[in-house]
Amino acid sequence: MHGGGGDPDGLPRQRRGTTPQMHGRYPDFDVLEQSEHWDEPTRRAVLARLDPPSLRFFDATQARTLTAFCDTVLAQDRQPRVPVLQLVDAKLHEGRLDGFQYDDMPDDRETWRLVARGLDEAAAEHDAASYGDADPESRLAICEAFAEARLSGGVWVELPVAHAFAVVMRAVLAAFYSHPWAWNEIGFGGPAHPRGYMRLGIGQKEPWEGEEAFVIDPVADVRERGLDHPTEHRG
Amino acid sequence: MKVVDNNSRFLLDVDRRGVPGRDRMRTYRDEDEVDLLIVGCGAGGSVLAQRLARHGWRIVVLEAGPFWDPDTDWVSDEEGAHPIYWNANRIVGGEDPVELGKNNCGHGVGGSMVHFAGYTPRFHPSDFETLTRDGVGADWPIAYPELKPHYERVERELPVAGQHWPWGDPHGYPHGPHPIGGAAERAWEGARACGIEMRVGPVAITNGTFGNRPHCIYRGFCLQGCKVNAKASPLVTHVPDALEHGVEIRADSMAIRIETDGMDACTGVSYVRDGHERRQRASAVVVAGYSIESPRLLLNSDLGNGADQVGRYVMVQGAPQVAGRFPETLRMYKGPPPEVSSEQFYETDQTRGFARGFSVQTVSPLPIGWAEHVLADGHWGKALREYMRDYNHWSTLGALSELLPRAENRVSLADQCDSFGMPIARFDYSQCDNDRANIAYAKATLTRILEAAGAQDVLTIDRYAHLVGGCRMSATAEQGVIDSDHRVWGMSNLFVCDGSVMPTQGSANPALTIMVLASRLAERLAAKQVEAQPSAVAL
Ligand SMILES: Cc1cc2nc3c(=O)[nH]c(=O)nc-3n(C[C@H](O)[C@H](O)[C@H](O)COP(=O)(O)OP(=O)(O)OC[C@H]3O[C@@H](n4cnc5c(N)ncnc54)[C@H](O)[C@@H]3O)c2cc1C
Ligand code: SF4
Repeated sequence: MHGGGGDPDGLPRQRRGTTPQMHGRYPDFDVLEQSEHWDEPTRRAVLARLDPPSLRFFDATQARTLTAFCDTVLAQDRQPRVPVLQLVDAKLHEGRLDGFQYDDMPDDRETWRLVARGLDEAAAEHDAASYGDADPESRLAICEAFAEARLSGGVWVELPVAHAFAVVMRAVLAAFYSHPWAWNEIGFGGPAHPRGYMRLGIGQKEPWEGEEAFVIDPVADVRERGLDHPTEHRG
Repeated sequence: MKVVDNNSRFLLDVDRRGVPGRDRMRTYRDEDEVDLLIVGCGAGGSVLAQRLARHGWRIVVLEAGPFWDPDTDWVSDEEGAHPIYWNANRIVGGEDPVELGKNNCGHGVGGSMVHFAGYTPRFHPSDFETLTRDGVGADWPIAYPELKPHYERVERELPVAGQHWPWGDPHGYPHGPHPIGGAAERAWEGARACGIEMRVGPVAITNGTFGNRPHCIYRGFCLQGCKVNAKASPLVTHVPDALEHGVEIRADSMAIRIETDGMDACTGVSYVRDGHERRQRASAVVVAGYSIESPRLLLNSDLGNGADQVGRYVMVQGAPQVAGRFPETLRMYKGPPPEVSSEQFYETDQTRGFARGFSVQTVSPLPIGWAEHVLADGHWGKALREYMRDYNHWSTLGALSELLPRAENRVSLADQCDSFGMPIARFDYSQCDNDRANIAYAKATLTRILEAAGAQDVLTIDRYAHLVGGCRMSATAEQGVIDSDHRVWGMSNLFVCDGSVMPTQGSANPALTIMVLASRLAERLAAKQVEAQPSAVAL
């Protein structure tokens, strides 16, 4: 898979529980098996993410575009996928915002809607009817241009690209890495109340924590495979 | 004879985390002229209320947020901690805008310390006279020796745990150092290899028997609110004793305007509760709402701004973080994020090419925080996922760079209004050359430490922490907002007592010093050392 930007060779398939795309470094670790050891309010909050409400904030067109964007920017290229946009939608619908707004930006809710439009405009330049209709290569290229603040024209005349990317990514990352499937993938022990952690030292783990089955230094690997500039690398 | 002056730790319940005594809390009517009305039940407001209640003052604290019950309201989860932050909108601008959100003030009884990390270093004696010593910043109208007895007292109340502290005014701590995790061990090894001294602590986290406060369980969610009651916040350290001594903490009550007699005296505060505007009468008012909300309330009340000083000189610390990648698993999510720290670079050293300095501390972000680092380093898509899968191999160090106070770094009122009809705050921030040089040097130092520890790679991000200033204390009315007794210049009975009063910030985390300033002010008010004492104070 080298050069194609896939997962590193040898990344294990998940054997226990679920991870996004069913791979990860801790194939026998399912944090959800620990949920009986969590306090009740925490358990309720975490388990609710497994089944988020259906969309209330975004309309169908926006949802199609933004789902495709969330999956591209998080490399969720196959099932099972964390329902990132649904989690974001719930937050925006309920008005759970972060308490600040750059002076050159609209409200975060408006930013999300404008980003959906901006992505569709960018897709038109790739001869696609919308971002969701664009082929994976084009989606990746648009994402890359967004991340590198290279989108221009249309919506982006009014909306500063870098700030817009920061706003949407803050919510995207919070949604994805608050999901227990993502914790399985990275070997995060998750909530530990009231039980606590005891084995804090180098190389130590609690008996119930996952054994790491695969190690690679991502800095070198990402550089070698050009993952930070996927389309440029391939082009 | 040792006087017991704060019973909070004994008043807590061993089986429940919520503050006992809320059902018995004394209440006042809006028409009652209480001796003191405090806006904000955070670091400054709570300590002041607890102290003065013990001197018989009749006190109401208005708190915009809820009266938290850690058992039911808080979760052991990063994203689920959202309600404990101040989430009402603010505008950020300037050349180097400061992102607020979870890295900002709290909202609810206990204030920001509910989600503070727990570091509680003292300021250095030099912090109070940086203008004289180093030609930058400002001199405070008070000095370290006046605060020293209060530092010792508050450190016992929190209680602070750590190794003997060799920097600033050297001192020990009431509780011993906590055990540290693998990530901190690696960082410390690197520091030793570079000849940099570090120490465990100082953290406001119980490490031994302390009344009914349990021991820390090393679960690592300090920034999400401690569900154990091991980490200090006013909710557990001062509110129980305050309630026991007749303070009313009126939660879910947003102060919108300070009322006056049209001359130099305030008469009470207008606030909104349950959608209704009400007015609480008081013989004296203290604003303790944090560096953004305190200036906002004064500006909205058009008070104290005769010299155009309200909201100016707001400071943040440069808080860059450098993470190092190691072959072993370190699982930095375990244990409180604050573990070991160093103040070796705190004071000015001419050879570094800038004035003042920085501190070095372990930080240990949880997955969402770590994902933000990875993104800030330029990774998304497959690269992001791959870095994230490697989470357990990283150790993260942060610096706190003392950025200098600048008049143009200011909180002002924006054009938009909030749901209470009050103009929202706008915060403009720009760095100066000294600030940039400090941050760059601090980042290079963190990188050197991690590389000396054997890090295979490092990842660096820029961020800020800890807003203070905005209503600064000054020797003359032209230079600031309050005098050395925290009284707003030109007003007889209006005070400010929170982080906004600081003229400089050092490179220490501010919460302990905020509490210490409140403790000193309370002592002076109680002993009638403050001139023109509020008239209706009971003894
Ligand atoms: C992520 C994070 C980590 C931190 N870690 C540390 C650390 O390790 N060590 C450290 O020393 N500091 C730390 N801090 C900073 C520290 O918590 C604050 O500086 C300190 O608590 C501020 O105290 P204060 O009294 O100024 O205000 P606060 O403690 O914020 O109290 C202000 C209170 O006033 C209320 N309020 C505001 N306006 C109104 C109004 N109009 N009406 C009614 N109520 C109002 C607010 O709801 C709030 O409860 C951290 C901060 C953050 C965000
Ligand atoms: S690590 Fe300790 S102090 Fe921090 S939240 Fe957990 S129990 Fe509380």
